[in-house]
Amino acid sequence: MKKINSFYICILAFSCALAFSSFVRNSQEKGQFVLPYKQAGLTEQQAAAHLISRFTYGAKSGDIDNVLKTGLEKWLAQQLEGNLEDTDLDSKLSNFDAINLTNTQVENLYPRNAQLVRFAIKDGAIHKDSVNKANGKEYRSAIASYMKEKGYRPQQDLYRQFINQKILRAAYTNNQLKELMTDFWFNHFNVSLSKNQCAAYIPAYERDVIRPNVFGRFETLVLSTAKSPAMLMYLDNFSSSGNNVSMEEPGSEMVMGTMQPAKTRNKKAQIAMQKVQANKQKKGKQGLNENYAREVMELHTLGVDGGYTQSDVTQAARILTGWTIAPMGDNGYGAPMKKLMERVGDNNLSKRGFVHEGDFLFVPNRHDNAAKTVLGKKFPAGGGYEEGVELLKMLAHHNSAAKFISKKIAVRFVSDNPPQSLIDKMAKTFLSTDGDIKKVLITMATAPEFWSTDALREKTKSPFELAISSVRALDAKINQPYQLYAWINKMGQQMYYYQAPTGFPDKGQYWINTGSLLSRMNFGLALASQRIPGITFNLAAMNNNHEPESAEAALNIYSKLFMPERKLEATIARLKPMLNDPNLESNVAKAAEQSTPTMQMNTMANEDANIMDDGAEKIKKGKKAIANGTPGQKAGTNTMLSQVVGVIIGSPEFQRK
Amino acid sequence: MTSRRGFIKAGGLALFGIGLGGIPSFLADAVAGTTTPGLFKKKKIMVCIFQRGAMDGLMAVTPFTDQYLKAARPGLFMTAAQGGKNKPLIDLDGKFGLHPSMSAFEPMFREKRMAIVHGIGSPNNTRSHFDAQDYMESGTPFNKGTASGWLNRAVGLLGHDAATPLQAVSLTSSLPRSFYGDNSAVAIKNLADFNIQLKGNQAGANMASKSFEDLYDQTSSGLLKNTGKESFDAVKMLQKTDTKNYKPENNAVYPATALGNALKQIAQLIKMDVGMEVAFAESGGWDTHFNQGTETGIFARNVNDLSNSIMAFWTDMGRYQDEVTVMTMTEFGRTVAQNGTGGTDHGRASCNFILGNGVSGGMVHGLVNPLAKENLEDGRDLAVTTDFRAVFSEVADKHLGIHNDKVLFPDWVGKQIGVMRGV
Repeated sequence: MKKINSFYICILAFSCALAFSSFVRNSQEKGQFVLPYKQAGLTEQQAAAHLISRFTYGAKSGDIDNVLKTGLEKWLAQQLEGNLEDTDLDSKLSNFDAINLTNTQVENLYPRNAQLVRFAIKDGAIHKDSVNKANGKEYRSAIASYMKEKGYRPQQDLYRQFINQKILRAAYTNNQLKELMTDFWFNHFNVSLSKNQCAAYIPAYERDVIRPNVFGRFETLVLSTAKSPAMLMYLDNFSSSGNNVSMEEPGSEMVMGTMQPAKTRNKKAQIAMQKVQANKQKKGKQGLNENYAREVMELHTLGVDGGYTQSDVTQAARILTGWTIAPMGDNGYGAPMKKLMERVGDNNLSKRGFVHEGDFLFVPNRHDNAAKTVLGKKFPAGGGYEEGVELLKMLAHHNSAAKFISKKIAVRFVSDNPPQSLIDKMAKTFLSTDGDIKKVLITMATAPEFWSTDALREKTKSPFELAISSVRALDAKINQPYQLYAWINKMGQQMYYYQAPTGFPDKGQYWINTGSLLSRMNFGLALASQRIPGITFNLAAMNNNHEPESAEAALNIYSKLFMPERKLEATIARLKPMLNDPNLESNVAKAAEQSTPTMQMNTMANEDANIMDDGAEKIKKGKKAIANGTPGQKAGTNTMLSQVVGVIIGSPEFQRK
Repeated sequence: MTSRRGFIKAGGLALFGIGLGGIPSFLADAVAGTTTPGLFKKKKIMVCIFQRGAMDGLMAVTPFTDQYLKAARPGLFMTAAQGGKNKPLIDLDGKFGLHPSMSAFEPMFREKRMAIVHGIGSPNNTRSHFDAQDYMESGTPFNKGTASGWLNRAVGLLGHDAATPLQAVSLTSSLPRSFYGDNSAVAIKNLADFNIQLKGNQAGANMASKSFEDLYDQTSSGLLKNTGKESFDAVKMLQKTDTKNYKPENNAVYPATALGNALKQIAQLIKMDVGMEVAFAESGGWDTHFNQGTETGIFARNVNDLSNSIMAFWTDMGRYQDEVTVMTMTEFGRTVAQNGTGGTDHGRASCNFILGNGVSGGMVHGLVNPLAKENLEDGRDLAVTTDFRAVFSEVADKHLGIHNDKVLFPDWVGKQIGVMRGV
């Protein structure tokens, strides 16, 4: 009886769910938007594959069915909300203790190398004469124990955690489009770990400035990047200052962006006055820095042909003088200033025209408050912080920005040379919705150009996308994300280290060159043969634990699994003769024999042991320990199947999306 | 953009035929022998070495008669006077002394193959490593948004189609800022890695290589197809020699350092005649805030590596010396005065070295005024008297025949200073 009851309850719940989901589907489809793939001659399956290829980091097995089940429009609508639960990812990310730190916490925990040496000297942990001297070992151990004592960590640890979490997010998040857009906007508003001074602020930049705003209004991104320590430092605006004619009070002069070393700290008024004088001199010398003002127009909003002049750049730079970084961190240069600001209090500061929001600080006495004109718009004399906001809003809503941003999004999601008609539609939406990014994306996805056969598979995966799409296709466990990073780097994308403010060029020609292409092929081979440490998967499980009966069968089955809804006849036909070579099996076997003894343990015979239950994983780890490959390489498998899958991942077809 | 696709058209390559290892014997002979007919018409090669971290030019090439310098650097100043307890500077011209750990350079200087430019630097007075390197490598000292690097633009200005995918090679793990841009440029850390690899499974690698070559030959994407072909052609070119067991010529001994290794591989590429015209390498450790030392210590070790690596390369080049010019560069110099920790801080001008048979060598070019405070930039640093672009453009012009300074260094208006001899 009990059983029957629960059976009915199940049925009931099931039909309710069905009714509900169809209700949602209808309202989504009717209420929001329709994707015109049928008009382009695509089947629903093909359309789902295209959606996945453009709006995720690559298809996982079952993804197409899921999209079909959810409904294409609803799936995209969910992706555009970007708030699907992510329990699995969250639990993986909980292993990283540095990724949620504030900039201040980062400053306190991860001193820069030069800073660390100075602290260590000051605290007597090392003698200044010992730096760079012959006995490096002793010196290093003194530094290490000093760091331990103080609880300091090496900065590399911060960047490693940051990169690791990025890889895990891309591979595992259910909110794939949000992560793609995070990548897109980060690259658009590029900052670089290669610039030491801004590097430590970059994890918080992506987390707090970029990711929450990826589907919002464009002006939010412009304003919040402008005020972020990472950008202020990367493009030097933190140091840009001008003459302020009305601000001559010594009290406020003390809180200037020019940070004094700790040793000059002194509360006495006389010395404070001297400092003011010194700062004034310094200020005069430092003066105006146009870097940010130029790039916010050229690269962030209007585009290089956006219709601004050098005079616009200079005047915009003057408007943005005084926009700087609030002192943070309890040690080092900012510390005395921070204490002083705390003593004065935010209320008193804001009475004097300061604006202190989190890590951002507007310093009125560094602000050029004469009249300016940018793009024909007049900014009258006497302005402060708000004129910068006004300027940035004007830029963010400019016609040129609408075109420039629309084109860049279309290049990212449609093709390297998107049709002008598409850009025009998107730009129109951009202007009519005050730069609503979500609406612009919908306009793009509902345009026929998005679904045209010219656009299918037209984009080349970046190295990062190739790596992530591979692990997604393999449904791999990523225990050591940094191993993937090393490969991504090798394939030509040193993530977060692109030096120029342009960000990585988003075009196939940039990614595909002689060296990087070989690395892509080698990546496929290394990954598929389980030679990349910390990346594990079970090829057999992908095919319901059936071992393909021949190489040809393997090729057929796995290329369809990896590239659903693609026309693969040519690829398969091309490879067939080689795979049908009667000597192939014996060649593979011979290859396995030639391998080093430690490697033989992982050959076909014991691939079963690789099947990913935890027990087997442990056994494998034991073997890994004796496999002594060079860093980043371990003894792998030399099976027919891994060879075939390696070739699939390295194939030209899999480089496209 | 003139395309590197020209490589495919380069008739010579067809001789390689399909399949790995099928290298015509005449080529192997050419490489091993003393004649260098090669597939590619012999081209001039410019080798650039970026010293990251900012080299103290005043210690590398010291104006040793300058009493202000002596006073500002009580613990770092070195003398050219013989007979002291320490090794003296190598007196170049009665005014400048070469650091004794760079003695390898002395014969080149005396033979007038090496020139030094002192007081070289950027008109932008930033003292940030990042910014200064960025400006020097983009070649636009006041514009961060320049997408391309100057060496990439140089490749575009060579005036002929790229006949090879290896026209511009950086011996670094990722592309340096100097190489950013639309022209073909590639970063290769290790030549031996430039192949299809499957560690411990050579047979598997060979099979995969064949599969890939077929697949890329077949694909409908022009970009992937052409680049795929280039890649496999390049692999075959590099397989002509055993890169792992390379034997330098003329008893050259490369230091076992990153720079030594990079230059050794550049030498291999040159001898393999792969059509390389621009090469790039890096040297690190120049940011000597602490205890930089004098005739021994970290600075001495650095310049020792720099000079020995370059001289090993030059010696190894032997019969190729006429084709090669080597130029060093660094983002800025260091303070005239030593700091409180036995080192020097970020300054302005530094010096650089140019080596080649077309160099106007044997002299220290540029201008170094007495280092009295009033002559210093911001009262503390050796003033920049020569814009780096004047020197870079001259070397590119005279050695590689690149005349278009408007493209190479937009915004720069200036004159060459005569570091190269007229052709």
